[in-house]
Amino acid sequence: MARNWGKKVKQLMTKTMDLPQDVMMDLPRITMIGQLHIYIENHRGLLAFTDSEVRLMLKNGQLLIKGNAFVIKTILPEEIMLEGKIDKVYFINE
Amino acid sequence: MKNQWTNYYTGYVKVKAYGKGAERLINMLTRRGLHIWDVKRVGSEALIFHMDIRDIPKLRQVMRKSDCKVKFMQGKGFPFLMKRVMKNSGFLAGMIAFLLCIFVLSNMVWGIEVRDAKPATEHAIRKELDKMGVKIGKVQFFVDDVDTIQRKLSDRIGALTWVGVELKGTTYHFRVVEKRQPKEVEKTSPQNLVASKKAIIADMFVEKGQSIVNVNDYVGKGQLLVSGLIGKEDKQEIVSAKGVIKGKTWYKAKVEVPLKTKFSVFNGDETSKHFLKMGGFSLPVWGFKDPGYEKQEKETTVRPFHFLQWEMPISYKQVTLRSKEDIVRSYTEKEAVEEGRKMAKAELKKHLDEEDEIVEEKILHESMENGKVKLSIHYQVIEDIAIGQPIIQGD
Repeated sequence: MARNWGKKVKQLMTKTMDLPQDVMMDLPRITMIGQLHIYIENHRGLLAFTDSEVRLMLKNGQLLIKGNAFVIKTILPEEIMLEGKIDKVYFINE
Repeated sequence: MKNQWTNYYTGYVKVKAYGKGAERLINMLTRRGLHIWDVKRVGSEALIFHMDIRDIPKLRQVMRKSDCKVKFMQGKGFPFLMKRVMKNSGFLAGMIAFLLCIFVLSNMVWGIEVRDAKPATEHAIRKELDKMGVKIGKVQFFVDDVDTIQRKLSDRIGALTWVGVELKGTTYHFRVVEKRQPKEVEKTSPQNLVASKKAIIADMFVEKGQSIVNVNDYVGKGQLLVSGLIGKEDKQEIVSAKGVIKGKTWYKAKVEVPLKTKFSVFNGDETSKHFLKMGGFSLPVWGFKDPGYEKQEKETTVRPFHFLQWEMPISYKQVTLRSKEDIVRSYTEKEAVEEGRKMAKAELKKHLDEEDEIVEEKILHESMENGKVKLSIHYQVIEDIAIGQPIIQGD
């Protein structure tokens, strides 16, 4: 109950104060350049990595990226830059 | 994100991670703050990634907790390049030796070209150059500079009017203008000989023509000496008169000799300082001491190093300091008179031909004024006074 409360307050704050939602609510910020690059901030770790599939942990659920010829250009604790041909991006909510 | 290009200079490694949970390894590494890039999947259970060389100890720590294995595949970047270079140091040494060779060869004299000279003059020039040390195979630094060569050549070889010396790369080019020694002009046109100045005839030698005057005659300027008209009045012939008429002429000279003269002379003490000059900065190489001359003259020569045909921004600079001394020369009155006579005679000789001779010298007047001796001297000179005067024939 209390947790829900906190969430609601946060949501209200962001709405009224016009703050970026990714900062306030720990959501991933995803930037894509065509199909070539995908840049994800606020991830929580790499779960699986192959040529054609990348699975990232998020705060809530996972992010699944499909495509081919994937190469991780850089990886930092909360950021990842992926290169290749990106076909699909899925959000998997548990 | 970190700047990536610096990684090249610090050095980085390509790592292969085997086993299950390679992704977990990467997570662990990134959480420890390692910078990882270019991750690629190879096969089903291996990953290849790149990491900074300085993070290897951290990688070791992480590996203990992980259940996969790593293998370093390749080192990249500057430190590894250096290592390889050291391993193949022969190549490096060879390269340096090669550059050094070219550098040394670029600073040598490789050719001497003489243009526009007659074979005899060319031979003389080459001989003189040999003496000066300008030879094929000599290093340019130990050879005189272009201006000095030019000066020495024109001083020592009489047949040269002008010689242009140019150093193009490793070749000296000499352009020569030779003196045209004038040939005796054959005087074929009819002429008389007349006196060029007033004189008393001392000696006569007439080759052609009829002499009008005799020895010991006094002649004025422009007076007819030898006539070009010969023969009797009814059968006159016109020739070109020729001959040498020696006449006694007079010169007056005035000289002033101060009893005390101040001179600035080099006393022979000199020191050289050597520098390497880079742009405006001179790095002393040899000769750091200040000689402490009271008065000195500074002479600076700068020679650029060459590499192939290019001049390098580095040059060799030599500064020569010559000690100067002030000397007061003082004469007694007698010495001053003697000196004055010498000076006047030397001055007169400059105006006379070689065959002319001074036969008498008389001091007319001698006085002391303001520490100076004033002399007026009278000279008697025997010289050729005959000059040609063309006969203009009327119809």
